[in-house]
Amino acid sequence: MYRIDAQKPVHFCDGMTRRDFLHAGSLATLGLTLPSFMGLKKAGAVSKDMNCIFLFLVGGPSQLDTFDMKPDAPAEIRGPYKPIRTNSPDIQISEIFPNIAKQADKFSIIRTLHHKAAGVHDTGHQMMQTGRLFQNGMEHPHAGCVLGYLKGSRNGLPPHVVIPRPIGNTGGNMPHGQNAGFLGKTHDPFILNDEPQKPDFAVPDLLPPDYISASRLDRRRALRDMVDQSVAQLEKSADARLLDENFQQAYTLMSSPLAREAFDLKQEPEELRKAYGYNKFGHGCLLSRRLIERGVRFATVNMFETVFNEITWDIHGSAPFSPIECYTDLVGPMFDHAYSTLLEDLSQRGMLENTLVVAMGEFGRTPKINPAGGRDHWPQVWSILMAGGGIQGGRVVGRTDSIGAYPVERPVTPAEVVATVYHCLGIDIETELPGPGQRPIPVVDYGTKVIGELL
Amino acid sequence: MFAVSYCRSVLSVFLAVAATSISAYAELRAFPDEIALNRVGAIHGLLVQEVEGATILGVPSGVEFSSANLAVATVDALGRVTAVGDGETTIKATANGETVEAKVRVSGRTQSFQPSFRNHIQPVLYKMGCNTGACHGAAAGKNGFKLSLRGFDHDLDHRALTRQAKGRRVSLAEPEASLILLKPTMSIPHEGGERFEKDSEPYALIREWIIAGAPKAKEDDPRIERIAVYPPNVTLGAGVKQPLLVQAHYSDGTYADVTRWAKFSTTDESVVIVDDLGGVTVQGPGAAAISVWYSSRVNAAQVVVPRADAISPEVFAKAPRANFIDEHVLAQLSQLRIAPAAKASDAEFVRRAYLDATGVLPTSDESFAFVMDNRPDKQARLVDALLERPEFVDYWSYKWSDLLLVSSRNLPRREDLTAFNRFIRESVTANKPWDQFARDLLTATGSTQENGAANYFAMHKETIDLTETTSLAFLGMSITCARCHNHPLEKWTQDDYYGMANLFSQVKLKNGKNGGDIDVLADPFGNIPHPRLGVPVPPKPLDGEAIPLDQPGDRRETLVKWLTSSDNPYFTRAIVNRVWKNFMGRGLVEPVDDLRLTNPATNQPLFEALTADFVEKKFDVKQLIRTIMNSAAYQRSSQSADPNVADEKYYSAYIIRRLDAEVILDAYSAVTAVPTAFDGYPGGFRALQLPDSQVGSYFLTAFGRPEREQTCSCERTEDSSVAQALHIANGDTLNGKLRDANSMVSHLLAKGLDDKGALEDIYLRALGRFPSPGEMDKALPLLASAAVSPEERRLGFEDVAWAVLTSKEFLFNH
Repeated sequence: MYRIDAQKPVHFCDGMTRRDFLHAGSLATLGLTLPSFMGLKKAGAVSKDMNCIFLFLVGGPSQLDTFDMKPDAPAEIRGPYKPIRTNSPDIQISEIFPNIAKQADKFSIIRTLHHKAAGVHDTGHQMMQTGRLFQNGMEHPHAGCVLGYLKGSRNGLPPHVVIPRPIGNTGGNMPHGQNAGFLGKTHDPFILNDEPQKPDFAVPDLLPPDYISASRLDRRRALRDMVDQSVAQLEKSADARLLDENFQQAYTLMSSPLAREAFDLKQEPEELRKAYGYNKFGHGCLLSRRLIERGVRFATVNMFETVFNEITWDIHGSAPFSPIECYTDLVGPMFDHAYSTLLEDLSQRGMLENTLVVAMGEFGRTPKINPAGGRDHWPQVWSILMAGGGIQGGRVVGRTDSIGAYPVERPVTPAEVVATVYHCLGIDIETELPGPGQRPIPVVDYGTKVIGELL
Repeated sequence: MFAVSYCRSVLSVFLAVAATSISAYAELRAFPDEIALNRVGAIHGLLVQEVEGATILGVPSGVEFSSANLAVATVDALGRVTAVGDGETTIKATANGETVEAKVRVSGRTQSFQPSFRNHIQPVLYKMGCNTGACHGAAAGKNGFKLSLRGFDHDLDHRALTRQAKGRRVSLAEPEASLILLKPTMSIPHEGGERFEKDSEPYALIREWIIAGAPKAKEDDPRIERIAVYPPNVTLGAGVKQPLLVQAHYSDGTYADVTRWAKFSTTDESVVIVDDLGGVTVQGPGAAAISVWYSSRVNAAQVVVPRADAISPEVFAKAPRANFIDEHVLAQLSQLRIAPAAKASDAEFVRRAYLDATGVLPTSDESFAFVMDNRPDKQARLVDALLERPEFVDYWSYKWSDLLLVSSRNLPRREDLTAFNRFIRESVTANKPWDQFARDLLTATGSTQENGAANYFAMHKETIDLTETTSLAFLGMSITCARCHNHPLEKWTQDDYYGMANLFSQVKLKNGKNGGDIDVLADPFGNIPHPRLGVPVPPKPLDGEAIPLDQPGDRRETLVKWLTSSDNPYFTRAIVNRVWKNFMGRGLVEPVDDLRLTNPATNQPLFEALTADFVEKKFDVKQLIRTIMNSAAYQRSSQSADPNVADEKYYSAYIIRRLDAEVILDAYSAVTAVPTAFDGYPGGFRALQLPDSQVGSYFLTAFGRPEREQTCSCERTEDSSVAQALHIANGDTLNGKLRDANSMVSHLLAKGLDDKGALEDIYLRALGRFPSPGEMDKALPLLASAAVSPEERRLGFEDVAWAVLTSKEFLFNH
């Protein structure tokens, strides 16, 4: 298989080199002239557009054990962890995050997220990523899909990438708000479909195998187009058309040298890879930075894909869910390393100003520890982190009561977070999208406010 | 008596913009045509609709109402009837020169009205949003005040109102100083904002209830039995508005207009939307339902919005009808003004029938034989033949294995997996009636290796898991909500849930004698306590009869008896809907495992007819398949009669859909003549023969094979994706098969076919048709230009085969 790091040009029987194909062959037919990453960088054209990374902490971190500590509350409330100081004088966070504590000048905490829908994972997933609860048969688009819809792709890369895979079953049998909803499946995110920490990680099948030459690729496309013209009604089916659009997107990706390079984590220094952490989430964060740097506009990193039979933030304390101790054993350190490294890395590269990073779960957890030693679902209040992209660091928005059960000052809704995301991305929050039957639907409900305290 | 100003203003808007007559032949009808009011001052709405035959049309413009006896009842310009005194009278409504009458009977002059906690106060608290999950109905209540979610626990709510907060919530001494009146009117700060005004009906009702001593729910209160919605169905034109009227019927035979306390939602916002008071506004053509919720009872009004362009009745009269399915489908299409598509060609039908019934493509010989068959009943003969093929067993066993989550993750011992698989395959082979299949599975006992069905209990060890999985698999509904509170969208209560759960609570597992296997047995001990009551409730199928906690015997027998009874609508609907979707591309209810009253079928009469037929045919799945496949609806072309109509809901044309992951992979193996190798399974095993969803295959994963982790139709993905396109373009699954030394490309080269012959061969094998002259003209030059050497010639045919096998025509069923 051809690799970007191959030193020698690979020759084909038709006399073309692989590089020829990439730069001349099918590119010309696609009408694309894709610059290399270094070329872009030299020209100062590495985008100043605003970008965004969602780190979805699937399962729902406990506010009381992470970013809203209540050391003075009774033991069954405050839990096993102690607060520690950070490099921001006003902020204390849980001792499970020693590295994040050193980056507290870069992010702000919202402590009063809350929602009023059913306390199941799926509703929070919907609201935090689309700004709305799905009702009356309407599926709203993920903010990344909206960005892609409004701004299109950049440098031939997909505008929105989900790493490593979309959120799967979390028990509610509802959509999770990670696709394009009513905008249509053409605007669905590109799914990575592999785990970036693996030694042999690669986007599956990104490149043609070496036995398929450029001329064969062209011939296959021509033949396929020919066969496809024969059944007229297939052109009328949205599902069937989607396949063609997917082929088109696949061809664009295949012929993009930048894409290949963007997904090649071997080019990252070993030290940095270690700092992010050799795990799915750590390397997902690293990959998200690399992709954004090269032209992807929005990356959504799912820390977990389910809450069943896997150690996650979902600490009910009993099987098939997770125990509270996993916050120190596994989940906490994983997030501590990845998040702190991501902020530091973005900052050092000058990317933090134009890259918004939102780290969030779908709800909080019950203030009182349950008989199984865990905490259950609690949408009444939870904490999220926002950094970069115009968000001021070192701030805290909202205050909860003495046991971290309810907001007492400045409650914040998921819609306000999504509105703030759009605002930071340079999208007017009254922008209307074409809904079902071309009914205009604003990106967030009219009247939703941006969280001004963060700007 | 009560201030109802907010209600009136909305109604008047409706009547002002209501449709003018849709039809010249319409007459008027009153809904309801009889009103009995059992107290003076009671108010009941009256709707006047235009009606043509059995079709209820919209509200005519300019209706004038009058009462024949003002001493009995008065009526206002909006049709609101108020009881004045005992007696009988008629209300006359006139519009467009037509007149209709409704009888009104008033009784109970001597009775004074006392709001009841159960039937008046709780509905007010619900409608005003007080006991919703977002407010005081939350699990933890709100600011110290907790009500049961949507008012399912009258005693708890009464205690919370009258006993807690030092009696400040309800003040008998000074009713107006009760927090329950001060807070929602924002007379003092209320985080939930203003819910009603002082001169409103909710305020008056609560105040009267307090004045009467704030009595709690009484044992002899009339209980709500059902709600009625008027009009029950209606056909509306573009842009039209239609008010709804909701009646609550009680156990004492009385009823009341509760429209203003009901909650409404639409099933399809692109057809109709509905406001808080039941005002319906048309958005576009189609069929939808307005679900109505009042006091834990659910009902729906069906709304049909025909397309604007009229279609000659002859189109529907002449459309072929093979069985009752066609009567119902055509009736709906005629209502909606969607012309049915023409009949599919023989080549289309044979391909589709093979794929839908057995998951395999017909060979070119099989297609050819069908096309050349001149017998008039050849479709029915083909269907009968397909039902007896071994691939039928593979396909349907796979489907039920998806449903029952058969995988090595759930059953790590190969012997158990094999035994469960064998149970399913033997059931499909014998065409075991669906009720017997469910009975054998759900009452299984003994060794998991000897009785494969027993593995169901080895997989689902927890009572809760068994309760919820069984509901999803066999009732097509999720009852999970009711684990913690009454189901918000269904009639199931928390009591129903724990009654149901206790039917499973005595299943026990112990180590078997065969080494590694598990024995499943019904123990006489074990109950799961009701979390609110703290004690177990008697075992009871959801809406069946309870049995005593100490009744001896296997409780699962009680469950199965209820489940498979011919009058259990849920059991039959669930399986009929799943089978229907397999052939018709869309369930009558979608998603197929979300059957609930608030999610009605797109064609309710058809759904009822299908389930009735299924029961009559003794739960015979093959017979159900035969009925569906022999219908004209199934045998239609996928090309719409009218190119401007894109119907994917009402079965006017065959719905185009991507083939399932396993079907595509097997078809690739069959067409290329190169089988797929699966780890741990013998060569030649097809994907649809795998008993285990965990067998590694990137292809199957990328194309949406379900994980079989939780019973949910959402596990299988039918959408195409960029990853799929990349994989069939660059991956080794299809490319590997095409390059294989034993592939069909090798065969056709060995046969010494010329380019034209080889092209035809590929088309016939994959698509069951010859290439068109246009395709020939385009393809031949592309092949000739490559054919400088035998190797190059081969690559040319590989590319033709690749193009055919990745085309929409191949990957989609149409």
